[in-house]
Order: sequence, then C-alpha cells, then structure tokens
Amino acid sequence: MSEQIIPAQGLPAAPLGRWVAWVTQRSTLVAGLAIAGLILFIGFVAPFLYPPDPFAIHPDHALQAPSWAFPLGTDELGRDELALLLSGGFATLVVALPAAAVAFVVGIAYGLTAGLGPAWADRVMMRLLDAILALPSLVILIFFASLVTLNNTSLILLLGLISWPGLARLVRNETRAQRGRDFVLAAEQLGGGRFYIARMHLVRVMAPVLVVNGTFMIGDSIFALSALSFLGLGVQPPQVSWGSLLESALDIIALDPWWLILPPGLLVFGALLAASLTGQGLLQRWGNGR
Amino acid sequence: MIRMITTRLASSSLSIVILVTLVFVMAHLTPGGPAYSILGMKATASSVAQLNARLGLDAPLWKQYAIWWWHLLHGQLGYSYLLNRPVGQLLWQYERNTLVFYISAIVISTALSIGLGLLQGVYYGRWPAKLIGALQLGFYALPPFFVAAMLVLWFAVQLPLFPASGITDLRAVHPSIGSYIAHLALPVTTITLLTVASLSRYFGEAVREELGKDYVRTAMAKGVRFPSILFGHVLRNALRPLVTMIGLSFPYIFTGGVIVESVFNYPGLGWLMWRSALSQDYPVLIAIVLIIGLLTVLGNLLADLVNGLLDPRASYE
Amino acid sequence: MSDVLKLENLSVSLPRGRAGNVAILDELNLTIGAGEMLALVGESGSGKTIAALSVMRLLPRGARVQGSIQLAGTELTALDDRAMRGVRGRDVGMVFQNPLAALNPSRTVAAQIQEAWRVHQGGSIRAARARALDLMGEVGIPQPAQRLDDYPHQFSGGMRQRVMIAMALACAPKLLIADEPTTGLDPLIARQIMQLIAKLRREHAMGVLFVTHDLSVVEEHADAIHVLYAGRSVEFGSARQFFAHPRHPYSAALLNSVARLGQTRLQNIPGQLPEPEARPAGCRFAPRCAYHQPACDAAYPAFVANGGTAAACLFPLPAGSVLHAAPLAKPAGRNYAPQLEVQDLSVRYAGAGGWLGTGGKQPPTLQDVAFSLGKGECLGVVGESGSGKSTLGRAVLQMIPYGGHVLLDGHDLAGLRGPKRRAQRRRLQVVFQDPRESMNPRLRIGDIVAEPLRLQGRISQAETRRRVAALLGRVGLNPELALRLPSSVSGGQAQRIAIARALAAEPEVIVLDEPTSALDVSTQAMLLNLLKDLGQSDALSYILISHDFAVVSYMADRIAVLNAGRIVEMNETARLIEAPQHRYTAALIEAAPQLRSYSR
Repeated sequence: MSEQIIPAQGLPAAPLGRWVAWVTQRSTLVAGLAIAGLILFIGFVAPFLYPPDPFAIHPDHALQAPSWAFPLGTDELGRDELALLLSGGFATLVVALPAAAVAFVVGIAYGLTAGLGPAWADRVMMRLLDAILALPSLVILIFFASLVTLNNTSLILLLGLISWPGLARLVRNETRAQRGRDFVLAAEQLGGGRFYIARMHLVRVMAPVLVVNGTFMIGDSIFALSALSFLGLGVQPPQVSWGSLLESALDIIALDPWWLILPPGLLVFGALLAASLTGQGLLQRWGNGR
Repeated sequence: MIRMITTRLASSSLSIVILVTLVFVMAHLTPGGPAYSILGMKATASSVAQLNARLGLDAPLWKQYAIWWWHLLHGQLGYSYLLNRPVGQLLWQYERNTLVFYISAIVISTALSIGLGLLQGVYYGRWPAKLIGALQLGFYALPPFFVAAMLVLWFAVQLPLFPASGITDLRAVHPSIGSYIAHLALPVTTITLLTVASLSRYFGEAVREELGKDYVRTAMAKGVRFPSILFGHVLRNALRPLVTMIGLSFPYIFTGGVIVESVFNYPGLGWLMWRSALSQDYPVLIAIVLIIGLLTVLGNLLADLVNGLLDPRASYE
Repeated sequence: MSDVLKLENLSVSLPRGRAGNVAILDELNLTIGAGEMLALVGESGSGKTIAALSVMRLLPRGARVQGSIQLAGTELTALDDRAMRGVRGRDVGMVFQNPLAALNPSRTVAAQIQEAWRVHQGGSIRAARARALDLMGEVGIPQPAQRLDDYPHQFSGGMRQRVMIAMALACAPKLLIADEPTTGLDPLIARQIMQLIAKLRREHAMGVLFVTHDLSVVEEHADAIHVLYAGRSVEFGSARQFFAHPRHPYSAALLNSVARLGQTRLQNIPGQLPEPEARPAGCRFAPRCAYHQPACDAAYPAFVANGGTAAACLFPLPAGSVLHAAPLAKPAGRNYAPQLEVQDLSVRYAGAGGWLGTGGKQPPTLQDVAFSLGKGECLGVVGESGSGKSTLGRAVLQMIPYGGHVLLDGHDLAGLRGPKRRAQRRRLQVVFQDPRESMNPRLRIGDIVAEPLRLQGRISQAETRRRVAALLGRVGLNPELALRLPSSVSGGQAQRIAIARALAAEPEVIVLDEPTSALDVSTQAMLLNLLKDLGQSDALSYILISHDFAVVSYMADRIAVLNAGRIVEMNETARLIEAPQHRYTAALIEAAPQLRSYSR
C-alpha cells in the first residue's frame, strides 16, 4: 500500500546557480562550519600572526579602551587584551577538543556494551548511568576539580571522563532500538555474530546520530571548560582562557570595561554557536535519512 | 493510576539508593574520607582516629557504608569547618534561596515557551517560525556567564536600574519584598533567556508534530474551528513532552544556576558549592552534591506524576 | 436534485517541491444518490483519497482544485472557508483509516462524539451527551452508558472504528465519506464494520463515498463502483454489472490479482504505476496493458457505455473473458519427505515493568503447538492479530526463547550454542512484512544480497558480483540495481531483494511473515507467483504466516488455523475450506473474499 514515489531531482544546471542552491539549502550547516573555521583559526593560527607577548605588563597603559597600539585595549595590569584572547583561545581548544574525543570514545564504548550485552548487565549499567545523570555534569566537574591538581592533562581527563554519560545513554537506546529491527534480525538469521552485527549494521545506521552528537559534544566540552575556568577551577594562572579572562573582567565591572567582557564572551558564544549550528545543519540533512 | 505511582516511586527509591552509594564513593575520594564528612575538618588527627575506631571506619567497607546510611537517615550531613556550623542547618537557607530563584525562572520560562512554541508550531515553515527558530539557536548557544556579565554591564553599571549582587539590600534591617524582587530580576532573566531557548524549541516541535497527527484532521472534518482544535485538542497532548523536559532540565538549570549565582553573589546552593569547592570544604560539597541529585530525582518523579494526570494512557501502561 | 454528491470535471494538483504543482487527479465525474454507496477504488497513487479530501476541503496547503463539487445542489467550491466549516461534520461526515491515530488519545470518546453536535447544533452539554449515548448504541458498542467516559485506547480496533463512525454520524449528515475504514482491521472485524456502514446508509438514506484499494471488501455492499488508475477514472457504473463483467483491462487485472478462495492463478500486472510527473498522454494503463495497441497512446480514450457500466477503453474486454474459477482440486495426500518437525512449542513473554524489569505473569503467547513440514511443502498459518502467528515464526527461526522442540532433519535445534547454532539457523530463512525495514538503509542492494555469501566464508569480489547478479535475475530484477540504495526502489522490488537475500543463504525452509500485506494488490500477485514458482523449482519448504485466508489458500498445501496461541484446526487446504471442523475456521472462511462463480 505504501508504494513510495520518488520525486525527480531538479537542480538548476548552471554551476553558480547550483552552488547557490547547495549553500542556501544548507545555510545552517554552512554558517556553522564557517564560524567553526574562524574559531579554529583564532585558536591555532592567529597566535602566530599577532606577535605581541600576552603576558607583557604595561603599567602605564592599564585598563585602556581599544586603540591603534592595543586593538582590543588592555586589562587592569596593562596586558594586551587581543594577545591574551589569542593565547586563551589556544588554551581553551587544546583542552576542550581532546576532552570531547575522550568522552566520545568512552560514551560509545559504554553505550554499545550496555546495548549489546546481556539484559542484566544492561540494567545494571543503565541504573548506574541514571544515577550519574541525576547529577549535573558541572557539579561533578566542580567536585573533582577541587580534588585534583589542575593542569592540561588532568583537565582533559576530567572533562573527558565526566562528559560521556549523555552520549552513552543515547548510543545504548539506539543500539537497543536498532537491534530489534528486521534487518538486524535477518543478519542474525544469516549467521552474523554480535561483533559482525555491531560493525556491519549498528555503527553504520547510527553513524549520522554519532556524528551529530559528537559535534554537540565539542560545544559542550568548550562550554564546560569555560565555565570551570570562569569559576576559577579550570585553566590555572599564569595561563589564561576565555572563561578566566571574563571572570577577571567581572571583578572590575564597576569600571565599565566593556572591551574586556564582550570579546571573550563573544568568542565562547561563537564556539558554542558553531557546534550547535553544525550539528543542527547535519541533523536537517540526515534527520529523516536513517 | 495507583499502580503507576507505586512503580514510579519504587523506581525513584532505587535511583536514590544508587545515588547515595555513588556519593558515598565520592566521599571516599576526598582527603580524610567520610570521617571528615561526619566530624568536620575541625577534628584533630587524634579525634579522627578515635572516631574512626569508634565508628568502625577502619572496619570493612560495608560497615562504613551502613554507618553512612545511618547518619544520612538521621539528618547528620557533617560539619562545615569553614562556616563553623553543622551542614544540615547551614544548607536549608541556601536551598530556600535557590528554590525561590529556580521556581520563578521555571514558571516564567514555561509560560514564555508555551507562547513561543505555539506560534512556532502553528506558523511552521513560514517566517514567524523561522525567526523564532533562528533566535532559539542563537540564545541556546549563549553561555550563561556571558549573558550574566552583559546584563550586569548594561542594567547595573551603564544603566543602574537593578542591583548587581546579593539577595537583598544589606543596609535595611527589614528589607522589603520589592528589594528581593529587584535582586532576583537579573539572575532570573539570565536563566530564563537560556531555558526558554531550549524549552520553546522543544515545545514548538511537539506542537508541530501534534498538528500533523490524524486526530487533528478528524477534528477539522467535524467542522471544529482552528483555535478550538489548537487549545482543545493539541495543547494537552503537546504539553506532555514539555512537562517531561522540564523535569529533566533541572540539572541543566542548575549548571547555569551555579554560574549565575556566582556572578550575582546570590547566596544559593550553587554559590555555596562554588565557595566550598574553592576552599575545599568537603563536607559541604558532598552534602550539596547529594541534595542536587535528590532534587533531580524528585523533579523527574514530579514530571512523571503530572504526565500521569495529563495522559489517560499512562495509568494503564 | 436527488443527488447527494455530484463531482464534475474535478481536477486536483498538489505542490511538489520547487517544481510547482503536479496534477494528481484529472477530470473526475461521479454522482452519489441518497442511500447509495459508491466505492471509489484504486491502488495507492491513484488519487482516490485526494478526491475524498477535496470534497471536505481538507487538502494540504497549496493544493489547487478545479471543477465543480455539488453537495445536495450546493456548490461547495463557491463557499468561503467559514461556510465550508459549517458543512464539515454537519452535512458531510468522514471516517478515516487507523482509528487509533484518528482519535485524540487524551479525550474521552463521549467528548469526541459530541463535539460535532456542540459545534453545529449548540445546546446543552447534557443534550449532546444524550446524543453521544444514542449514537454509541446505534453503532453497536455494547453497554454504551458505561463506556462514554472511556478513552480510545480502552477500546479494541473494531470498537474504535465504531466510535469513529458514531462521530461522523453526530449531526445526521447527508453524505458519509469513508476513507479505507476497514484497512488494518482483522478480516472478521472488517466485515462487521462494512455491514454496519451498509446498514446505516439504508436507515439514514445517506449517501456513502467509500474509498478503498481492495475490491473484495466492497463487492457485497456497494451499489456503484468507480475505478481510478493514475489519477483518472477507467471504469464506473453499477457494482453488480461491474463484478460480473469488468470491461476495462485494468479493472479485470485488479479483480484477478486479489487472492480469492478457489483461485488457481493470480494475474500479474507487469510494470509500475507511473509517477504523477510522468503520466502517459494516452491511456495511462497502456504501458502495462496486455491488450495494448498503438491507437491507445494517442489520446485518453472516451468512455464507452455498455449495460450498466462505462469503460474508458478503445478495446473493452468481451464478456466472460476473465475470472477463471476452478474447483479446489489440489493433489491431496501428496507425500513429502519430512523436513521440519515442531513439537510442544510454547512461548511465554516476560512482561516489562517492575523494579528491574521482571514483570508479572502473563498468559502464554503460544501453547503446545505441533506440526511437521515436508520438503517442498508450504504450510499456511492463519490467524488474527494477537493469535501468536508471528511469534510462532520467530520461535521456529530460533529468534526467541521457547519451550518444546524444533527438529530440522531430525536434529533438535534447542540445545545448540555458538557456531553450530549459527550454522543450523542459516538453513532457516525469513522474509518479513515490511521490506524497507528488512534492509539496512545505508548498504547498497548488491551488498545486502551478498551478505549471506560473505558470511559463509571467503569469496572473491568477481564471484560475489556474478552470484549477486544471478540472484537478482532469479527474482526478476535488473542486476544493475546492485549499485543503488534501498530507498530508491519500490516496495515490491524491495521485497524481491529480501527474497534474493534469503535464497543466497541456500536455505531449506523459509518463513514468510505476512510477505505481501505491505504491498499493493497488483504487486502482491506478482510476488506470490514468484514465491510459488521458486518453491516448486527449488523444492523450498515455506511456512506462510498471514491474516489473509485467501492468500494462504492460494499458496499453501496445508493450513493451520491459529487462535489465542493454539492451533484449532489443521488440514489440507481443499479439505479445510470445504469442510471446516471448527467454528472459528468457518467464520474466517466466511469473511474471506470469494470468487463469485465459485460456490461451495
């Protein structure tokens, strides 16, 4: 009864027109990737293009608004704010990106194990997950951050080993849902083992979901690190990060230093927006395709 | 209905047991272990050793675990060496402040989300919905510390309309209700802006989905006017996922709450947690972690019970 | 002016992406008198539902309607939206397919039945409630007073459809539109709903526009028939005349592709329905027609009236050229070498819920089922939904835990573990109901068919490609499909691919779990014929699970009737149909579509 009729694809023939159509159809995705490119440029390339030392102190130029000498002004110690922002970008991304990767791998491993394992193991693992998810990840992060010595390695592990439960639950639920689908049953009937099913079928059908959520996790990781740094429990002095720059500006907010608040805030916003738009864009493209 | 409530309660109790166990493990990781959590850091090394011997904290783990439970059930949450008071007493006033803050934020965001979501669902695919959708994506990506900082900069520093810090006017002996509200204005606005972005998007999706269902076409075939369809048929069904989402969003709100409370020096649980973490006041930290977890479990339970009232099917499943 | 509904040159086009509007329905003319039931028949994509929705003006946004729609003399296309809302529910009532979705889950049935009355007649809630109570009694809901405040999920499928009908009748409409109201219901229930609608139209002198894809459903009760193909009517007229002598080749093919008791061969309709953008200029059925002549392609043929019907065909079929009935004379007592033995099979599902998901006790889904299957034999398993027929298939396939024994070639499968178990399971293959669900949407068709070959052991690329092409050829598909994704083929093609995959494992037994119920009738006929031929040429043993008695009787050598988890009767097909021993079997046979000329 549900003989689907596939509409003919009618793309404009001219290359420019086709390109425009491609972009407008994916405006969310394109915008997300463009901002992501900009953020990566700021974090990893721009520090080499802008030579001033971020930690050089100019006491007679303290707390100055943007000028030719200091494009984004100076902080209360007279440090070059633009140089600080670029250095803080590197410090943020160099922790947040690997941490997201760790969480991604742990989350998938945990979710697949629960989803494919025997029923009792699944129940135990999911109950544990529910309890962990009852605690906001920032709360767990604050707790453990107060216990350990904070440096890049410990921060990567801390963020990575605490941010995976959401993905794990998603992967487990997807695995359970996909496992009961007819094509998986058919593969089992053909003699496919558990590992074969996971590799050949589950991971393939879940790939879009994984990529989309991996993208969201990068945003979450950047947010978590910035929030921790903002609370003084993340990237530690003398290193700076976007979160800690904003925090130190807040201490002197009564002096109206807008140039110290707007740029780091906008950069974190940009990074989160990039992840969110890219993820949403991918979701729009793939949402119905699985 | 009663069967649903009992199963749900049983399931929540189990979650709480696991949660308490989890926090026990976390307490074990703190320097000094649970002995400090009970006795407080004021205890000297010898009194800790004494207590350990008396309470059997050098005893096997299961015995320590039993003692942990015994103290929790008697409301003994430890002693804060920093604030020099038992944690149980201390927490209540912070918890009250936090609940006032969150509940006002949740009520306002729910009302706004329902309005925006209805618009978005009804105008799906046309410019009002697209505009709302773009705003949601933007606001969703705003970090709470940035929003809070900008609100302080604009409405407390550049335009001194609202106080930037505290819960009430410190100079007044009997602060007025108005003073409380003025102090809540900016923190509540911050959390509301962030919560509305995700809740309204979620509710808008739910409205759109419900509007596409067959029963809406049935109602149209009966000659029912569109507003009656929207409010008489669709709204109730679309509210169910929203209620679940509000129940689940407690951890998310708390994440923003810690940051907002720290920016505005609002004396709530989040602020206390932040100060305790910085000064390594573990008994307080552990107690707050536990309370946050319990509040989340209770929030989910409450959402499920409300949905049980909204959905006649829930009582049969 | 006694016509309740009169459609004149009704054409509808719907928006399709950036391409603009595409014509879905062209120049439909029909009339329905008071107390008359007209069946609008067509396969999916014929435009029949669009025709029904355009009467109600419930088309998707952007639809364009041309022509005239007159309801008891009033031109509906001239009404503004407000006036049209006054017509809906008051002058025209509508019953939809799938009542569970068409009813609001969170409002009581009383509230939903009385809503139309309250909207159009106003008045007190008490009066509206009394009206709802009357209606529920009239449509045959037992103890209506106690059920007024129940919710839709508390009713069975058939009772829900009765609620839908009560709702449509609330304001005593002049016209009832029923859009596939029996689809998805068990045959016995579908028959009751059909009888109810037929009875109500007589009692209320109400016109009925009955939209369906299944000719056999309306055969007994329709007064008039109107057949649509690819957006145009091909034949219409008196139902009696039509069923006795269909004159358009498409009508005849449609009639002959529905499985009926007593049929020896189903007619294939080759080819596929043209897409709305690519409909032929001449007769739209011409490319698939067995009687195709060059003249057919020139222009859409005019209607030729003859007796009580008219067909849009240049070469209408002469009388008596269709509907071959043959006595059910299958070779009885054929001896098969035993292949599969099922002994004392019981399945009990553990319910979900409880603290750790250990639910309470439930009645067993299957109890003490026993049968044997010979080599090359086809055993049909018939039952309604909930009878446990799919569970039986899954237990035989070793997909779920069960009690009892399943013996393949005399070896018990129950105790096997690991590679041994996998090797034995391969010998039992399966074809599922929904062909799209049975294929990984991200794998190419070639890889899907090659999956069993690769799982069997190392095999070269070239050899794989050769064997995949051969398998696709065997199920009647172009080997070039191997490079495409499953989403780009039709449902019928997808089901053939699923069969090719099952064949690739070289199985001895194939479980066919409702293999055709997700397909259009013409596709269904083709698939059943394919399975029948493969079964004979390869000596495959089938277990065919279906709710459709006629489909099973067409394929099976023996039939087992399953009710509430037990086999109530099992016998050779011809004997079972001629002399059913169990009341339940007799009722199922009574409800199954029959050939007119075939009598027991």
